[in-house]
Amino acid sequence: MNLFTKKNDSTQATQEAPRRTAVPRYGVQETADAFVVTAYLPGVARKDLETSVDGESLTIFGRRTWTPPSEWTPVYRESRAADYRLVLELDHRVNRDAVKAELQQGVLTLTLPKAEALKPRRIEIQG
Amino acid sequence: MRLIRYQTPTTYAPANYPSLLDEMDRLFDVAFPALSSFHRGNGTDWEGQFPVDLYQDKDAFVVRAELPGFRKEDLAIDLADGILTLTGHQKAETKAEGTQNGKTETVQERRVSRAVSLPENIDVARIAAAYENGVLTVTLPKREEAKPRQIAIDVK
Repeated sequence: MNLFTKKNDSTQATQEAPRRTAVPRYGVQETADAFVVTAYLPGVARKDLETSVDGESLTIFGRRTWTPPSEWTPVYRESRAADYRLVLELDHRVNRDAVKAELQQGVLTLTLPKAEALKPRRIEIQG
Repeated sequence: MRLIRYQTPTTYAPANYPSLLDEMDRLFDVAFPALSSFHRGNGTDWEGQFPVDLYQDKDAFVVRAELPGFRKEDLAIDLADGILTLTGHQKAETKAEGTQNGKTETVQERRVSRAVSLPENIDVARIAAAYENGVLTVTLPKREEAKPRQIAIDVK
C-alpha cells in the first residue's frame, strides 16, 4: 500500500535554482469515490502553484513570491522563505485524467477520483 | 500573556539529501507515530498555532500571520493592553455519506490564536488588516511623535 506515501524527491538535486523547499502540512482523506489531498500553502497565489501528475507521482510545487519591501526591517520572524514541494505516490487506484484542483486562501484541495474499476458496484446475477 | 515561539511543523528537504531525509522521516514514523502525525498524518488538524512575522519600517509595524483556509468573517483581530491577538475560528459541518466507516456526520472545528505584544507607540485608530492567499497582514502605523525626525540646528 504505497498510495499517497511521500516520495523520494530525487529531482530536487538537479533543479536549476537550488532554492530551499519545505514539505507543506498536508492530509489525505478517502471518500466513496475519490481521494482528497489537502495541502496548506499559505502565501502561494494561484499563478505560483504548479500541480502535476506524472505517471506514478503527484507533485505539488508552490512558490512563495512575496518578499518584504527593502525598507522593512524584520523584527521577529517565524515563517520560512522556502517554497513548498510535496511529491506523493499514486498507483492504479487513481483516475489520473479527472484530477481536480482548487486553491482557496492558501489551501489546496486536490480531488483524485478513484479508478472506475475500484468503485463499489453491484453485480447482477444472470439467469 | 506569554509568547511561545512557533515551531515550524514542516521539514526541510536539503537539496542534496532528499532520500536521507525520507529515511529519517520513516525512522521517526516507526518509533514515534504520535509525533509524526504532527506534521504528516492527517494534516488537517491543527495544533492551534501558526507562524507570525513582525516587520517595521519608519512609518509602521507590520504583522504577517500564515492562517490558510479561513473566511474573512472567521478571523478576528483584537487589541487590548498593547497585546494584539489574532484568532481564527472555523466550524465546518461536513456530511460525508458512504465513507469507509459507513455514514458519518462530522463537525470540524478549528480554533487558532496567537498574541503579539506591541510597542507603545502605535496609532490604534489607523490599524488596517488584509487577508490574501491565506496570509493575514495587519499594518500598525506608528504615532506621529514616534517617527524618527531630524531636528534642524540653527547656526548663529
